[in-house]
Amino acid sequence: MFEHRLYYHVDWAMLGAIVALCLLGVVQIYSATGGSGLYVVQLYGIVLGLLALAVCTSIDYRSLADKSHVIYLGMIGLLAFVLFFGVVRGGSRRWIDLGALNLQPSEFAKAIVALILAKYFGDSRRGVVGPADLLIAGALTAVPLLLIARQPDLGTAATLLPVLFAVAFVAGMPMRIFGVLALAAVLAAPVAWKFGLEDYQKERVSTFLNPSADARGAGYQQIQARITTGSGGPWGKGFQKGTQGQLRFLPVAHNDFIFSVLAEEHGFAGVIVALGLYLFVILRALESARLAKDRLGAYLVLGVLASFTFQVIYNVTMSAGLAPVKGLTLPLMSYGGSSMIATLAGFGLILNVRMRRFTN
Amino acid sequence: MDTDNRAAQGENLKRVGERLIALQVAVIVVFAVLGICFWVLQIVQHARYEEMAENNHQRTLALRAPRGILFDRNGTLLVDNRNSFTISIVREHSLDLDRTAELLSQVARLDLAQVRQTIERHRGEPQFRPIVVVEDATLAQVAAVTARRLDFELPDVVVEEVPARTYPTGALAAHLFGYVGQASESQIGDGIALGSIVGQQGIERVYNTQLMGRDGAKRVVVNSVGREISTLEETPPVEGRRVQLTIDYDLQKAAEDGFRNAGFNGAALIMDPRNGEVLTYASLPAYDPNDFASGIDRVTWASLNTDRLRPLQNRVIQGRYSPGSIFKIVVATAALEEGIVDSNFRVTCTGGARFFGRTYRCHLKGGHGSVDMRHALEKSCNVYFYTLGNMLGVDKLYKWAEKLGVARKSGIDLPNEQESIVPNSEWKLKRLGERWYPGDTISVAIGQGFLSVTPASLAVMISTVANGGTRVTPHVVKAIDDGAGWQPVAAPAVADRVAFKPDTLAALRDGLWMVVNASGTGSRAKIAGRDVSGKTGTAQVISIEGRARARGSSRDLRDHGWFVFFAPRDNPEIAGVIFGEHNEHGYLGAPIAKHVMETYFAKKEGQPLPVLLPGKTAPSPSDEDPDSPPALPPIAVADARPVEAGAVVN
Repeated sequence: MFEHRLYYHVDWAMLGAIVALCLLGVVQIYSATGGSGLYVVQLYGIVLGLLALAVCTSIDYRSLADKSHVIYLGMIGLLAFVLFFGVVRGGSRRWIDLGALNLQPSEFAKAIVALILAKYFGDSRRGVVGPADLLIAGALTAVPLLLIARQPDLGTAATLLPVLFAVAFVAGMPMRIFGVLALAAVLAAPVAWKFGLEDYQKERVSTFLNPSADARGAGYQQIQARITTGSGGPWGKGFQKGTQGQLRFLPVAHNDFIFSVLAEEHGFAGVIVALGLYLFVILRALESARLAKDRLGAYLVLGVLASFTFQVIYNVTMSAGLAPVKGLTLPLMSYGGSSMIATLAGFGLILNVRMRRFTN
Repeated sequence: MDTDNRAAQGENLKRVGERLIALQVAVIVVFAVLGICFWVLQIVQHARYEEMAENNHQRTLALRAPRGILFDRNGTLLVDNRNSFTISIVREHSLDLDRTAELLSQVARLDLAQVRQTIERHRGEPQFRPIVVVEDATLAQVAAVTARRLDFELPDVVVEEVPARTYPTGALAAHLFGYVGQASESQIGDGIALGSIVGQQGIERVYNTQLMGRDGAKRVVVNSVGREISTLEETPPVEGRRVQLTIDYDLQKAAEDGFRNAGFNGAALIMDPRNGEVLTYASLPAYDPNDFASGIDRVTWASLNTDRLRPLQNRVIQGRYSPGSIFKIVVATAALEEGIVDSNFRVTCTGGARFFGRTYRCHLKGGHGSVDMRHALEKSCNVYFYTLGNMLGVDKLYKWAEKLGVARKSGIDLPNEQESIVPNSEWKLKRLGERWYPGDTISVAIGQGFLSVTPASLAVMISTVANGGTRVTPHVVKAIDDGAGWQPVAAPAVADRVAFKPDTLAALRDGLWMVVNASGTGSRAKIAGRDVSGKTGTAQVISIEGRARARGSSRDLRDHGWFVFFAPRDNPEIAGVIFGEHNEHGYLGAPIAKHVMETYFAKKEGQPLPVLLPGKTAPSPSDEDPDSPPALPPIAVADARPVEAGAVVN
């Protein structure tokens, strides 16, 4: 199954950057949690994730795409299962208790939605993507999205939308449809504001627009994030010397705000290194899409990459205190096993497409 | 695959490629923007955020310096510091100030309205400065608040340990020590900040600079719930300088015990006539300076201020009274030193005398007969001193009053001393717009009329007489420890020095000795073998006519009594004044003086200190001496009270 020559086509540079980011994350988790054992758990997550990555590269993505409907239905089943039997933590039901670890199926939904959408658009023989295709693709995305939103986990649910749009965009969706959708979104926003959002969600948005109005409440985290980042300066305060993270002014420093901790302790220099690594990984993955042997491969890469890129950009912006605080982790760096395994598995698919560009 | 398909596939891939490039560009642009954002935050605005981060986690705490400790002349501790707790609100940490105020007043059992008022009063101050809500909190309050703090319910409340002043002897010598309080607006500056504890009265105030010390500061790291994590730097507070007073605790206690035993209020200033070192300084009734140590509560303050007995008044230097017969010592000195008469000059007293067409009475109806200077002093014969006064004239009297220290201020190192008033012709013209009548002098000659003097000024006068003419300045500080050991504080310069003629000194010493040891009014101060000398006097509160007018008013119109003394007669070591407020008789002060002197001599010779049994008056030597006025019925006037006295009321 795993032909030896494929080994030479593995994108080692991207893999290296990915592993570097993971280790950077481990270092910051170590610092933010005051040397507690959490970083070891994260290391386990990385090992498991690399195994998942290996598995995902070893099976030809075309075979996987052929089984995509089965995988998709399995995922829908799991998400439904979570809604009824999941473990509740922090007010939402996201996890399946597997004894040794808790599995978060929604993390895996991103890659699976990418796979099914790639399969759908890749199979399409016509050159253009019409409204009908968009509707079907939209429905395929909407089912897991709604299930995840019900947990509730709007952050993760929202990461599915970039998957849909990225794949549709590259598949040739006419720009005017994007225009129409954008217009609809603008028009629907006030309605959604009034009926679609819970009070705490509204509060988060209005706090973002004016954080100092509620400096002790919801705006606190945003202001603290900005202080944390800004106080880092050009070279940072040094490893484990970040006062904001170490003294708990920053909430969930090892998780959602891991990038703030990095920015505080290693300054602008550290930020540039980390952002450079992320940019390198993303551009390298886009390169894989361009090099893909077929549309299926290109779309698959795009789909996986879309949620990753969206999450990286959003989390980094939030870590600088420039976006509303949302429970979105930073892929590869934030603490969290499911996210790590799912993200690395996704990159397995991207490597998979690249290394099979010469096979038939 | 057919050619068409291949072409379509190729075209598709080409379009895919184009759109991928678009995405690539978009991603690069977004990352560039992110980079710029971080550059702005971390480089351009770095200083601002760095400051905010420091404010977040660093606190500067003031460390209050303990005030200098006061000792008596023998090293007995008089004023000390103790640890106290203050409970404050730091608004910077407040999530909900209203809730904090409510919870805090509930937990510490405070009046909510008052807590709110306190917060309101400090509203304008910086947010990080703690607002002290409870000074000197009880341990129960501290425990209750600390428990809530641990639950994070009161993250904005801090409990601090600060040194507070403590006066182990309670109200003893209260007016001497004074009290401390928060600096008022006008006191701020020169090392005194808002909220500093500074001396407000007494030694605490005069020697505040030495006593205050220097507050320290501590920069600490706190976490997000305000708990101290570590100390960055610490400037320890510097304790105020230790001060040794000239006061002798045992004599002080003896005097106050004496008053308590005698059952009246008043004042006492007893000193070493050789150098002006104050041994005893009492003003009664007193307050407890401990009440002020951590901020006095309104109720106590109000009651101290409205008390009719005026416990806040420092009678020794602020109370002004008519000196009565005590002033006869000044008249005698003036007459002898001016050379108008010598001590053998005799006057025949028939119970009264006429001057300028008016009759001035002596207190002894039958008259004293022919008396010389010594006996005139002993018997306090009014007619004798009317005669001397008339011969001297008021301006010479004034001159000697000033030389002996009766006029103006004693110059003691305590705040708010009142000037003693001794009239002369210039003073009367200026003050009353009236020329001086020779008749006015007659009243002044027996200590009535416009005279109005403080106990301190009479203490200086008797010391000057005792030491033979050197007017020493009373002072209360003997040495200050500047950190390198005790440095003696030089006695203030002698205010005036006159060497009395031998005849003057002998006559004064003999006459005053006879007051105590012969048939005079001061026999209750007699101590065998100590040659105590003294003089009694009565300070009229109101003239006889005034008394008639004031009948029925609630004012205490009873006269004050004076007793000035020194011992031993030759080479005196101790001298002073006992002022008895509304005690009616000067001789009632004599037992107090006696007890102090007995204590003094016992201490000096290493004997056990005499004990005053409460409620038991000292044995009165008057019983053995039936001629002495104390043996007269209580309504008898022991001292001069001329019919024509001016209605000077103090």
